[in-house]
Amino acid sequence: MSVWWRGAAAISTVGLLVTVGVVRAARSPDGAVPVAGGPTFVVHGDNIQPGLPVVHSAAVTLRNPREGDRRALAEGSALFVAYNCADCHGSEGSGAMGPSLQDGRWHFGGSAGEVYESIAEGRPDGMPAWGGRLPPSQIWALVTYVRTLSAGHNVSTENFTGATVERQGH
Amino acid sequence: MEPKGWPAAAKLRALGGAVAPGALGALGALGALWALGALGALACSGPAGGTGGGGRVAGARIGTPAAGADGEWAMPAKDYAGSRYSTLAEITPANVRRLVVAWSFSTGVLRGHEGGPLVIGSSMYLVTPFPNVAYAIDLAQPGAPLRWKYRPENSQAAIGEACCDVVNRGAAYADGMLVYNLLDGETVAVDAATGVERWRTRVADPNRGETMTMAPLIVHGNVLVGPSGGEMGVRGWMSALDLATGRERWRAYNLGPDSEVRIGAGYHPFYAAERGRDLGVTSWPAGAWMHGGGAVWGWLTYDPALNLVYYGTSNPGPWDGELRPGDNKFTSSILARDPDTGELRWAFQVTPHDLWDYDAVNENILADLPIGGSQRKVLVHFDRNGFEYTIDRRTGEVLVAAAYVPVNWASGIDLATGRPKVNPDKATGIGRTVHGICPSLEGGKNQQPAAFSPATGLFYVPTNNLCMDFTGRHPTYIPGTPYIGADAPETGGPGGYRGEFMAWDATTGRKVWGIREPFPVWSGALVTAGNVAFYGTLDGWLKAVDARTGAPLWENKVSSGIVGNPITYRGPDGHQYVAVYAGIGGDMGALIAGDVAAGPPYDVRERGATLPDLARHTSLGGTLFVFKLGDSRP
Repeated sequence: MSVWWRGAAAISTVGLLVTVGVVRAARSPDGAVPVAGGPTFVVHGDNIQPGLPVVHSAAVTLRNPREGDRRALAEGSALFVAYNCADCHGSEGSGAMGPSLQDGRWHFGGSAGEVYESIAEGRPDGMPAWGGRLPPSQIWALVTYVRTLSAGHNVSTENFTGATVERQGH
Repeated sequence: MEPKGWPAAAKLRALGGAVAPGALGALGALGALWALGALGALACSGPAGGTGGGGRVAGARIGTPAAGADGEWAMPAKDYAGSRYSTLAEITPANVRRLVVAWSFSTGVLRGHEGGPLVIGSSMYLVTPFPNVAYAIDLAQPGAPLRWKYRPENSQAAIGEACCDVVNRGAAYADGMLVYNLLDGETVAVDAATGVERWRTRVADPNRGETMTMAPLIVHGNVLVGPSGGEMGVRGWMSALDLATGRERWRAYNLGPDSEVRIGAGYHPFYAAERGRDLGVTSWPAGAWMHGGGAVWGWLTYDPALNLVYYGTSNPGPWDGELRPGDNKFTSSILARDPDTGELRWAFQVTPHDLWDYDAVNENILADLPIGGSQRKVLVHFDRNGFEYTIDRRTGEVLVAAAYVPVNWASGIDLATGRPKVNPDKATGIGRTVHGICPSLEGGKNQQPAAFSPATGLFYVPTNNLCMDFTGRHPTYIPGTPYIGADAPETGGPGGYRGEFMAWDATTGRKVWGIREPFPVWSGALVTAGNVAFYGTLDGWLKAVDARTGAPLWENKVSSGIVGNPITYRGPDGHQYVAVYAGIGGDMGALIAGDVAAGPPYDVRERGATLPDLARHTSLGGTLFVFKLGDSRP
């Protein structure tokens, strides 16, 4: 019911950041470029831009207003359990029904804004869209927490030579 | 391939005697329970039989008439009884070492390949994990070419609602149609000759946490299906769809008021605890049954003479029992329903007020067995809770109950009531950790189905030996997200092995022989009139053993771990073939084993706690392997 205004607040925040950043063309707050006589063209910054200057998606430029806030980290850690994130993504994001959040490899981007977008809007393989349920401050708390999970994890290579788990036969 | 170096520990082995609990933490006086032979008649299995001689049970029969042509595999479990037994006997212990790969087929899909193909006439039908493609293969042509592929529309969002990998346990076949479930909650029927979709019906709602993974059973033109989602706070049900049109004929819930559970004048449970008005409401705190679990994701069997379909229901939700005082009926129960009306005829709750995620969805194999001097019509059920139950399938009376794996959450089953005698030390709760509960939430056996041989009278059971610590925490019910409220890391059980393939006598509740494996045996079992039993391992070995003695006979390494169910059939050339999916996944392969699930480059997982070494032995795959006897050797 009172959700729409939160979305509008988010969009206007984005709009403020976009207009402050370097842009090549006048854009409306959601990154859309009005095309005369046709549908609005929306920029997705990570996609190949054929022959055009690269423009990052609006989400990348979003700043986490709660970055570095220890209370946000604690709140995010608690919400990660309370909202059942841990049951899908595994305790501390190790991976379960949903993908690992510890591997430092972000399918939809690992910037604060992109992680915010993943939580708020959901993603195709069944990540639910929480934006209609949670206030932005809680989503930012989760963003703060989730982005700490991959610290120090190196998942590139596993070497099976040397001592292995004892296995008889074969 | 000659079996080389079968682990010494894997040979025939008595399980009697105490075994060290290992690193599970203090077990105290309950450590005595590890000595499975030490307790009295009520509780545990007796000591395992020794070597050789088998354990032949005379007079044992499959509980239903033979289905279809004996060279076919026309139902998910071969027949309505769920026997997974084939009368084909060309392959024998003397010649099985000549089995070689005849051909293979890539399913085009990764993730857990549970279930198995069907063979009707000279056609083989496969269903893959999500996106649930179906294939028809022409066995009569060289190279087994495809006849058709059916690639259904299937919503990706359902992937995020599937607790335990995006598996599919197979299709059913009737009236020239292949019928199976899509992960996103629809049942589809496909023309078996052309691959054209005939109908699709939405039966489940992923927005409420429901997905579909089970293999349907078709009885009297009723396609019987049920949802997954015991971990998602669903309210479980069974539906009957009209085979010709897909329209729902009836839906019966497993929780809630009698009118919706379809309890009426025809309901005659054996035990007093199952009798009473609206037990599906009154055995819960107010309203908790509305998202109390009781999902139907396991195997269905059917007795045509009694006209009863048998199935089990999942655990209650959430996993924390303190939030749902009461027995929580009819979760973790075995139900017998009339397939034409859905009416409940009897119920038996295997684990009342479950505190350990012990679903009761494992198969109920129908057999006629000599028990106590007379021939009894029974069902045999190897439950998650670690006990095997031999139950009179007319009434739901428990005749035999015995532990088939190490068990410590209960000291036994009281045959007067059928109820477990729970050890208070192993009861779980919110805000505290209980250490070393055996079996783990994966159970003594999970979805991997057992087989029954009337030739030996024995059951062939793929089992797990795992234990867990369990920490309850306060859950939140949010539709479309998990409703669990616990962390339960697992470790190997006592004895240093994590799985065992065993032969079991359900007339006395005893293991006859067992083959220990380093990993839980997550494949289904197959047994034949030729007295060969087959099973597959998580590290990718398909194995054949002598069904009478358990002697290892043959093994073949396939492309990926095996979580599916081997089948056997007579090919158009008249020879016997064995087929199985290779493709690690499912609960054990995808969730527990860590980076074995690292298919997509963005999803590389830390090694899981339970099987941290599995990823060294296998990776994702998706291939059907078909074997036949090769040339004789001198």
